[in-house]
Amino acid sequence: MSTAEKFRSISPAEFFYRNKEIAGFANPARALYQSVRELVENALDATDSHGILPEISISIDRDPNKTYVYRITVKDNGIGVPENYVPDAFGRVLFSSKYVLRQTRGLFGLGAKMVILYGQITVGEPAEIVSATINSKKIYKYKIMIDIKENKPIVLEKSWWPNKTSWHGTIVKVAIEGDWGKARQKVLEYVKRTAIVTPYANIVFRTPDGEIKIYQRVVDKLPPPPRETKPHPHGIDLEMLKAMISETKTQTLLDFLSEEFQGVGRVLAERFITKNNFDPNANPKTLSKDDLEKLVRALKEFNEFRKPRSDHLSPIGSDLIKIGLSSILKPEFVDAITRKPIVYEGHSMIVEVGIAYGGAIEPVEEPLLLRFANKIPLLYDEKSDVAWKVVSENIDWGYYDIVFPAPIAILVHVCGTKIPYKGVGKESIAEVPILENEIEEGVRHVARSLKLYLARKQKEEEAARKAITLIKYIPEIASALVVFAKSNPEPVNVETLESKLFELVKNRFRDSLKNISSPRDVVLSVE
Amino acid sequence: MAMEQTKKFISSVDIRARIKAAEKFNEVFEKVVKAVLNCEEPRLVIPKRTLSNTIYDKEKGLLLLGPATFERSFLDVKEARKFMQTLLMAKIIYDALINNEYPTIRDLFYRGKHSIRYRDHKGRVEEENTWDEQKESDSVLRDIEVLVNLLREEMLILSKEKGKVVGDMRIRSGDDVIDLSKMGHGAYAIEPTPDLIEFIDVNAEFVLVVEKDAVFQQLHRAGFWKKYRAILVTSAGQPDRATRRFVRRLNEELKLPVYILTDADPYGWYIYSVFKIGSITLSYESERLATPKAKFLGVSMTDIFGDKNKKPYLSESERRNFIIKAKKTDIKRAQELLNYEWFKTEKWSKEINIFLQKQSKLEIEALTGKGLHFLMDTYIPMKIQTQDFIE
Repeated sequence: MSTAEKFRSISPAEFFYRNKEIAGFANPARALYQSVRELVENALDATDSHGILPEISISIDRDPNKTYVYRITVKDNGIGVPENYVPDAFGRVLFSSKYVLRQTRGLFGLGAKMVILYGQITVGEPAEIVSATINSKKIYKYKIMIDIKENKPIVLEKSWWPNKTSWHGTIVKVAIEGDWGKARQKVLEYVKRTAIVTPYANIVFRTPDGEIKIYQRVVDKLPPPPRETKPHPHGIDLEMLKAMISETKTQTLLDFLSEEFQGVGRVLAERFITKNNFDPNANPKTLSKDDLEKLVRALKEFNEFRKPRSDHLSPIGSDLIKIGLSSILKPEFVDAITRKPIVYEGHSMIVEVGIAYGGAIEPVEEPLLLRFANKIPLLYDEKSDVAWKVVSENIDWGYYDIVFPAPIAILVHVCGTKIPYKGVGKESIAEVPILENEIEEGVRHVARSLKLYLARKQKEEEAARKAITLIKYIPEIASALVVFAKSNPEPVNVETLESKLFELVKNRFRDSLKNISSPRDVVLSVE
Repeated sequence: MAMEQTKKFISSVDIRARIKAAEKFNEVFEKVVKAVLNCEEPRLVIPKRTLSNTIYDKEKGLLLLGPATFERSFLDVKEARKFMQTLLMAKIIYDALINNEYPTIRDLFYRGKHSIRYRDHKGRVEEENTWDEQKESDSVLRDIEVLVNLLREEMLILSKEKGKVVGDMRIRSGDDVIDLSKMGHGAYAIEPTPDLIEFIDVNAEFVLVVEKDAVFQQLHRAGFWKKYRAILVTSAGQPDRATRRFVRRLNEELKLPVYILTDADPYGWYIYSVFKIGSITLSYESERLATPKAKFLGVSMTDIFGDKNKKPYLSESERRNFIIKAKKTDIKRAQELLNYEWFKTEKWSKEINIFLQKQSKLEIEALTGKGLHFLMDTYIPMKIQTQDFIE
């Protein structure tokens, strides 16, 4: 169990109010989708990142009088928000957890606050937050609005009641302007794809139309939670360096470099300082802008630092991907692979690829691509995503015996502390060569195993076809032979002959007769 | 009970034939039952009925089945359907044998044809017929004939009869004696099981087989067989098995020479060769059906056109009246005949080459056109006397 999150403000709410498109609130439909997304991702971060099997319920209600008003309620069983943090956590536009890095789902570190802000602008009702931390004796309820100019929470109401059931978790309820008709398909798809990568969660989703979608937990295994890590010298920029220096307690450049970064020990820090003629004893807080720029460049160019670590990342894992794909898509074949970590601009990344084939999957003209970044489904801008380029251009599916239309889905998950998104929407990942290559290798790996499976299946089918070719004639042959069996010392009947003939076929085609136990399983009555 | 009643009216000859055939069936198919009961692969070893396994035996002058056999196993995916059909056919024939029935090959086809409903390897329900066309059932019937070494006639399977015979002879058919000289204007229809016929006595010097029924009737009513002490037979076109077997017995058992009279065209020649040598599809039966000593009396190309030491039977003007231009198919057929081993003789090469050169054919009726008596009293006797025939 981790301790409570630490929060720190980064920029005024007003900025996002004026630039809500950036955060994905461009129109009522997109805003509804984005709101569900933010709240669900918070709920998941509050659970699986802390070792709790998620119980998430989502409901969207349409206001009976004002049809453009929707009330979204998301409930989780996570670690809850400590009583004194609730207003800031939901009412101040913040950036979480100092300057340490962690792989989180939240894209902008804005999450729920943006939803509340948007709701306030479009509908004007306060948001309702109910929360209790683990072992809390009380459950708290807040009604909150945001003071946009001041970027601070306004608490309209606060109450509590005894926590008799030892419940912990958070319930967020926000009223926003939305358009369910236009958002429906994307929202449903989003929840479904979320369920694919969280097969350890129970997710219940009630739509404004009263449809209820239930995704049952199919496994009790959680992926390891992501851990915080220090920045790697190759992955910082000027802004980040300034922020780190303002936070650090170290007094010298040597200490600063060897204590606040990963991949840098004392020896390496000294070598770096000597090589670049820095003053090891300079207090970092006194460095000029020029010094800082020079330091950033030097850090990027020095290639003796140890590689960025990846043990703080939290891939889903090939087992969970297989379980998720199986339980949601109900295919006949799945496979998945978690690739070795790669490093891009000082950040480590892990690529995971899954494949699902046949079964309940509808045949499609191009592979159904399920993209995820840090466990979040990416639904927009598919065609400009590196993963799309891989599955649609780089891979010759014919080589893997896949002829379209084919019932095939490819899952691509990229996780890392910094993902090279394309554009501000963060809905697609850029075509970075190292990443493209990694995805391609992953897809090739699972495609190879599909090819093997199909070849084996075809062989088995062929054997089964042959076996049935024989079995279907057994009753006919047996009833002919019984006519010539009169001279046998023991009386012979048709059933004996049928089962003997079936034995013969079974011995020849042992493995392909799994679910056939007698000729009568194959031959049906003509009436 | 009804069966017992019926049995009283069945000839003893048939009953003996049935018992013999049923025993043979038991002998062959009990082995298959034993194999199945011992969990061994059930197989049928069947002589091959292909052109490649058809051998022309110069010695005997017969088309015979060679020694090659093939195995039809139930466990062989490619053969399984045929295996099933073979056993199905065997059962139907056996049932008919012991129930005193006389099925035709068409009956066998209908008795065995029904649907098998089954679930395929993908779970779809499919239907398949034991056999779809009579071609298939006829083919397994032939397999059974060579497998149990019995002709269909010996299994009491009947085929439509078209051969007819008249002449001064007595035979026993079933339990009756029939006098072939007392058939009035009609004739005795050769029964489908000629092996069950018993020859009682005969007064004749040769057998004349006429391809065409119409010509047979004219010769019969004109008293040809009385006048020339002949047994007169017609096959009414392509000869059926019964007619061939009957002619063979006349030749073999009664030592009567057999002369065959057909149209002067490749189809007529082939009819002659079926009588004499056998047909390719039924080579396994030639040994019993063919008459290797049969002679081709006519009508030959030299009868029409003559050659350096033979005057033609027709004048040039008569020729022009009766000659028909050969069709493409006739030419093609004639070229095929040239490839058959048994047509590769001096006389036949000459015959066929004249035809290919003149591209003309002629029907027997041309000779009756010249006058029935010309055919009866001049053409036929003179050809026999001067030994102007092809052996």
